[in-house]
Amino acid sequence: MTNFLQVLILGLILGGVYALMASGLTLLFGVMRVVNLAHAAFMILAAYIAFFAFDIYQVDPVVSIAITMPVMFALGVGVYLLLFRRIEGTERYVEMTVLMTFGLALTIEGLLTFFFTGIFRSTRPSYATQSFFFADLFLPKGQAIATGVSIALLAMLWAFLTFTKTGTAVRATMQNRTAAEIVGVNVRRISAISFGMGMALAGAAGSLLSYLFAFFPSRHWQWVAILLSLIVLGGMGSLKGAILGALTLAVASAFVTDRFGPSWSPITFYLALFLVLMFRPQGLFGKVVRI
Amino acid sequence: MTSLLQLSQVRAGYGVGPDILDTVTLNIEEGRSYCIIGPNGAGKSTLLKVICGILAPRDGEVLFRGAPVGGMRPDELLRIGICYVPQERTVFPAMTVRENLMMGAYSITDRNMIQTRMQRVIEMFPILGERWAQLGGTLSGGEQQMVTLGRALMVNPTLMMIDEPSLGLAPQVADQIFATIQGLGDLGITVLLVEQNAHKGLRCADWGIVLDLGTNRFEGPATGILEDPRIRELYLGTTVAATKESDQ
Repeated sequence: MTNFLQVLILGLILGGVYALMASGLTLLFGVMRVVNLAHAAFMILAAYIAFFAFDIYQVDPVVSIAITMPVMFALGVGVYLLLFRRIEGTERYVEMTVLMTFGLALTIEGLLTFFFTGIFRSTRPSYATQSFFFADLFLPKGQAIATGVSIALLAMLWAFLTFTKTGTAVRATMQNRTAAEIVGVNVRRISAISFGMGMALAGAAGSLLSYLFAFFPSRHWQWVAILLSLIVLGGMGSLKGAILGALTLAVASAFVTDRFGPSWSPITFYLALFLVLMFRPQGLFGKVVRI
Repeated sequence: MTSLLQLSQVRAGYGVGPDILDTVTLNIEEGRSYCIIGPNGAGKSTLLKVICGILAPRDGEVLFRGAPVGGMRPDELLRIGICYVPQERTVFPAMTVRENLMMGAYSITDRNMIQTRMQRVIEMFPILGERWAQLGGTLSGGEQQMVTLGRALMVNPTLMMIDEPSLGLAPQVADQIFATIQGLGDLGITVLLVEQNAHKGLRCADWGIVLDLGTNRFEGPATGILEDPRIRELYLGTTVAATKESDQ
């Protein structure tokens, strides 16, 4: 029983971080129908920013979120204006965005490898290796902090989407782009903001990732595969789905790790992806789209 | 009557495709209601999309109260009073009826004005008052159409363009929608209606415009336009045949 609880706790505190990572990806898909294959590459880029901030200026990786989020927001808006705005509304838009984000991912990976080489990196704040203890249970301090920060950021995202006018416009655009356009939402402005927000969330996730997991430039492929499986389970474009998908699969993978060892953990995500696509392709909270 | 909207020699199409609209020249007068009829593929919906800014014209001039508005964004055009209710269902499915109407008032900041207009919408569609907290996606087709019309009325438009409001609705529900559209003139709204059901559409309009092959063939008072011999030819395809012959 203790072991069961322990594994559950480890799964849940990892799930909080996964939820943050997946939220930006699902937001971008919801608003713009862009499957951003470069999402994790942007996360790794942010992790490098956090790494050098820590290494050179001793900035705590959690505090570095204050740097990575605005930097990545600006980068996201720039990428949208430069690359995506021109192809909006064209034929084969979806196919083009997949190729474009794939190219972006390769470009970022290439640049990171060129400048920072392929060696493993991670920031090492003191709490990364400490734990809280309760009776027989332990809670890794670093992961607990990361999950707390993730929950706080997701709550802020929720409040933004629910209570602000721009947030309402983002939700409206996610639900029906044409309808948003005809009630007077400047959907291009909303797209730019959403792209920036998606990247800012990737930035925050990257800061946390920098001390939770060792990283190197090509590590993003594994991450983006995991994140895609989370949002496919939850239903593409649904924030609630992304969060539940993240928690479910993080817990599942924690149990798989406990039972079969860490090398089987990634299988959990791909198996879930496979099963969801077979039995419920729209995901838990997605809607069926007929073409 | 003063001229509200003028189109001259407007051409438009999608992507790299051919021209759907080929030199449309129209004059819409303020306070009058219009029904555009014509066979499938005549360019009726495309015409409305150009006027509301979803589709930019390739050529030609669009004037609203004398000022050029061709190529402006939908949100800019909405602010000057041009509003569009598309053919496809466009309620926000995960928002309540109230939130949907609030989205209609997205470009308005005056809270009192929003309240007054919301009251007016509920008076026009009492059923929406009953469905107040229900999600848009769970409403029936007719109720969704009422939400989209009500949402459009939140901006108190000068020109309201409505594309096929009766599509997929039961006859009684469609009649109710048509009755509402007919009443829009009393609110000082100029209506531009596109309707596949020519009889019903023309009954709630003052003026009929016949569109075919991307250009306006002729127009006239709504009552009587259906008796025009050219209408029969058009729907039987003789005009099409004649045009093709003259092209060769």
